[in-house]
Amino acid sequence: MSLIEVRHLCKEFKIAKRQEGLTGALRSLFHRQYTTKIAVNDISFSIGTGEMVGYIGPNGAGKSTTIKMLTGILVPSSGEIRVNGLIPYKERRRNARQIGVVFGQRTQLWWDLPTIESFELLKQIFQIPPDRYRQNMALFNEILDLDEFLQTPVRQLSLGQRMRADIAAALLHDPKILFLDEPTIGLDVVAKERMRSFIREINKNRGVTVILTTHDMSDIEKLCQRMILIDKGQVMYDGELTKIKETFGKTRILIVDFEENIDDFSLDGVEVIKQEGNRRWLKFNREVHTASQLISQISEKYEIKDISIQDPEIEVLIRNIYEHNYTLDQVFTDKTRI
Amino acid sequence: MMKTFKMYLEFTRKSFQRSAAYRVDSWSRIIGNIMSLGIWGCIWFALYHGHDSVENISFQSMLSYILISMALQGIHNAGTPLWEIQYRVRTGDIAFEMLRPYDYPLRMLFTDLGSISFHFVTAILPLYIVIFALFQPDIPLSASQWGLFILSAALGYLIRYSLELTFGLFTFWLIETGGVEDVFYFSISLFSGSVVPLWFFPDWLERLASLLPFQGIYFIPNAIFIGELSGQEIWPALLNQVIWLIICYGLLRFVWNKASMKIVVQGG
Amino acid sequence: MLKSCLRGLKIYFYMVGVSIKTQLQYRYAFVMNILGWAMTYAGTAITMWVMLYSFGSIRGWTFWELLFLFALAVLSWSITMVLFFHFHNMDEYIVEGTFDRFLVRPIHPFLHVIALKFDVGAFGQLLFSIVAMIIAYVQLKLNWQFYQWLVFLGAIIGGTLIQGSMLVLISAAAFWTTRSERLFWALMWPARNLMNYPLTVFPRFIQLLVTFLLPFAFVNFLPALTLLDKTKESFDPFWGFFSLPVGIAFFAICFKIWNLGLDHYKSAGS
Repeated sequence: MSLIEVRHLCKEFKIAKRQEGLTGALRSLFHRQYTTKIAVNDISFSIGTGEMVGYIGPNGAGKSTTIKMLTGILVPSSGEIRVNGLIPYKERRRNARQIGVVFGQRTQLWWDLPTIESFELLKQIFQIPPDRYRQNMALFNEILDLDEFLQTPVRQLSLGQRMRADIAAALLHDPKILFLDEPTIGLDVVAKERMRSFIREINKNRGVTVILTTHDMSDIEKLCQRMILIDKGQVMYDGELTKIKETFGKTRILIVDFEENIDDFSLDGVEVIKQEGNRRWLKFNREVHTASQLISQISEKYEIKDISIQDPEIEVLIRNIYEHNYTLDQVFTDKTRI
Repeated sequence: MMKTFKMYLEFTRKSFQRSAAYRVDSWSRIIGNIMSLGIWGCIWFALYHGHDSVENISFQSMLSYILISMALQGIHNAGTPLWEIQYRVRTGDIAFEMLRPYDYPLRMLFTDLGSISFHFVTAILPLYIVIFALFQPDIPLSASQWGLFILSAALGYLIRYSLELTFGLFTFWLIETGGVEDVFYFSISLFSGSVVPLWFFPDWLERLASLLPFQGIYFIPNAIFIGELSGQEIWPALLNQVIWLIICYGLLRFVWNKASMKIVVQGG
Repeated sequence: MLKSCLRGLKIYFYMVGVSIKTQLQYRYAFVMNILGWAMTYAGTAITMWVMLYSFGSIRGWTFWELLFLFALAVLSWSITMVLFFHFHNMDEYIVEGTFDRFLVRPIHPFLHVIALKFDVGAFGQLLFSIVAMIIAYVQLKLNWQFYQWLVFLGAIIGGTLIQGSMLVLISAAAFWTTRSERLFWALMWPARNLMNYPLTVFPRFIQLLVTFLLPFAFVNFLPALTLLDKTKESFDPFWGFFSLPVGIAFFAICFKIWNLGLDHYKSAGS
């Protein structure tokens, strides 16, 4: 049985229309028009215990709305949700005990209080047994170095410190599931890495199921085996990360520095996707051509200064999906376009 | 010159439009104003119960006074509230204003003009036309009296604006203005004659009030409106307002310059 | 049920304790706050005095009686402020997403909101009201019987509940409109101004409104009739006995409405 079950989940919002101009401003004082926005449109997936899933999509794709429904903050318009057997919006408080939530942009802690006080408050609110609390605090301290800022008010923490405190706070009551909404946003490289290794650690050693939304594709690459990609409220891809890479990996990019500027470069099976001075980025399908084949063909015609081959990064791939507005099926069958 | 004025006017236009977006704000301001008016109307009615006139002021005059006073207060309240200025100072948002090619106090004035005109057109004007039609209070009878009233009311607005912004800027030096702020508000509400005209003050207090800038905010325009201040008496009253405006504006400039220096030197 | 109530209380007192500790850290701000509140109300009292200087009395109430009426309202209001004042910031909690974090915790969000702050600064008003009340008590040469002390106590607790309920009601509006701060100033300020004067100053329909619908009359006017032995008013002094039950009932209604708002918020989002 899976831990999280989502079936045909939908969520609609009513949004007030803004009316243009001065008269519009006056009119909206008395009458407002509304439009319906479908934020989540028939989403289904299931997640098993101990999985680490990346839930990604562009802004406004419906990520946060889904997370809010899974955590019991929002009631769905239709569809079913089960989180460890509970319906979050019906049994919000019981659900709250089994989940931990981190919203990267907003702290879960008490702004004015020394950090330790927030932990103490959460201990009270979640009724964490004193022993368990001590053990957890000791462990988090060890990995996240909380000691250095426990006495500092939250508002004075650096972003990295605050995120460390936030994630520790979310795990204090031993939740089965951890929701992370943009956990590395705004962090520097070192802090990001630290955050990721902590997430890995608690997933592996404590068996906490992690659901992660992010804009940073390397978060997903380094953390998740599975990715759910959504756009315009619908699931576009749900599956292994490696599979997406393999499929897209059929596309490769050849970066060539020519000796001189060439205006009319062309070669069969190769597409110029970018140029900068004398440098060209050439895209080709590695099942049709080999790199060495192409290089010899190019060097026959032109003077080459330098050359390198690049596997496309997952971030680039995903951007392609959005920009070309493809569904993944299309992407997989229509390989030459990528 | 024309261009600069146009730029400031753009702030007015924008804030007019923005006002419409907050319709709960608009409605709650109107409701609040009506309720205040009702309460003070009842209180004065009850006070005059059994009296024809007190200190030579008839109930009719007093009713007119409180009506116009509440209308003016409704207009004043549509501007940026003091706490918002203080909030901007505390958060350092005000430092960003320094980077822009305009004068902050002037920009605020023009911005407020936008929200005020929106509020005036949509709420105060229709509301008070109905109320005036219902209660038939004393209103200016000649064009010149109207003109002088509007001039005096505008001066009053500028005096309050200068004082309030100056006070808001004190937040640069005082983290918590708590007690001082309340004395300030109390002084404005009592000495401006917003609800109790200066005529009813004990003599010593009336003398004190006449030495302060606050009477120019509501008391003088109100008195001109209901005709208690008329003929030759108007001119010294207007002169008093002008002098206080110059002093208050000078003070605002002085404090603003000091505050600007502080932002430049310490980065807010 | 009882167990969860006790647990709620325990969490409440814990959170409140932390809140007080933080406020006391900023000692200067704390003192200024208390001073500020005391002065605001002293200002209102002075305005009343100035107003009655030329008129003598209002509907048969002298200045000292008026001061007593006013101080009684401020007394329960100061406790309301300590406990409930931050409810008017509900719109801010919702817009900034603070409220969402309350919803991922295993306690009722109402408990979470009420425990968020314990505004010790409001003790300034308490200070004012006690001083003003003692002065009025002496000036009016009052000498209360035992039952009058009970009415006084009922007025304080009932008045706190009634005014607290109003704040809860106003905060509930934020669930629908995402605005409550404005509503607070538009409704609560005039309502509190109304309470500063004898109810008989106002038209009959207002008297009925604040007696039966939004029961502000039970905060100070009706108990004051009993406490000042004013028998010649249009209300019988025995009304003053009901402050406490009215307060409890009104609170129950407003709490229910707050929960309805919460349901709406959860289905509409923000």
